[in-house]
Amino acid sequence: MRTRTIIVIAVLAAVAASGLYAWKEYERKPEGAGELSATETLGAAELLKAFQQDEPSATAKFVGTTEQAVQVSGAIRAIEPTGESRVNVILETGDALAGIVCEFATADVPLTWRAGAAVTVKGICTGMLLDVVLVRCAPVE
Amino acid sequence: MNKFKNLIAFAALLPLSAIAQDRYATRNGSIAFSSETSMENIAAANHKVTSVLDAATGALQFDVLIKAFEFEKALMQEHFNENYMESNTFPKASFKGKMTGVTAEQLTKPGTYEVVVEGDLTIHGVTKPMKTKGKVTVDQAGAISATSDFGVKPEDHDITIPGVVRDKIAKEIQVKVRLDLAKM
Repeated sequence: MRTRTIIVIAVLAAVAASGLYAWKEYERKPEGAGELSATETLGAAELLKAFQQDEPSATAKFVGTTEQAVQVSGAIRAIEPTGESRVNVILETGDALAGIVCEFATADVPLTWRAGAAVTVKGICTGMLLDVVLVRCAPVE
Repeated sequence: MNKFKNLIAFAALLPLSAIAQDRYATRNGSIAFSSETSMENIAAANHKVTSVLDAATGALQFDVLIKAFEFEKALMQEHFNENYMESNTFPKASFKGKMTGVTAEQLTKPGTYEVVVEGDLTIHGVTKPMKTKGKVTVDQAGAISATSDFGVKPEDHDITIPGVVRDKIAKEIQVKVRLDLAKM
């Protein structure tokens, strides 16, 4: 009987643990780039050039099959509020028609950041339209 | 091909005075979609939509990166990209068409205009014609906002919903587009 009790308890514990895991997995929020290690580190101009020269290869490398963080360094071209508590920090690439658009939550942009400042950003690369677009960005000290 | 080169080539066909006055664009348009059923509600938004409007001709285009759609829950986002949209194979969606019902001159004056948008919508690599109503608002400061709501059926774009979860996803997904356009 004691053995049976232990088995029942063990099964119930396993069911409870599985249920808890399933609930936590279901409720899991998308991670910000600050919580991820960067798989690639490069300059803003280099990132843009990679997409302009071979977009499919750059997409495979920097966007990847699962979400990954890319660390990009460069000078700030502009900081543009876009509404809904979001801000675009656009990095200079040397190409007047295209930049690296880094979307931040407004509260995550350091107060010291200004146009012209040299900064490093970590973001989730989503691909290229007119610009290369990084979302859920975080500043790198 | 670099999409901006397409825009430059397109712009080159227009008189310079028309280019200066009649072209509007945004890099921060938004598209939100929702699916509501008795079993589950699903919603996501993308705030990185690129769009160009040529007010002289009514030509309208917008492009979307699929992986820039953001969900409340990571699991939904992963399933959306990996199982439904297959965004590794089809990283973008786009619309190319025409907007009628508002003139270039009207876009320079405050007002609200009912418009019709018609063209080709490409999702998951499948292009289908579409036609829908929209609204363009010009405020006192001259800012232009274009909005439209419409429905999209997943099967129209070869998006397969497994039978096990079919009842969790609406037959027609509701899409809301908002483009705050600035003169180029």
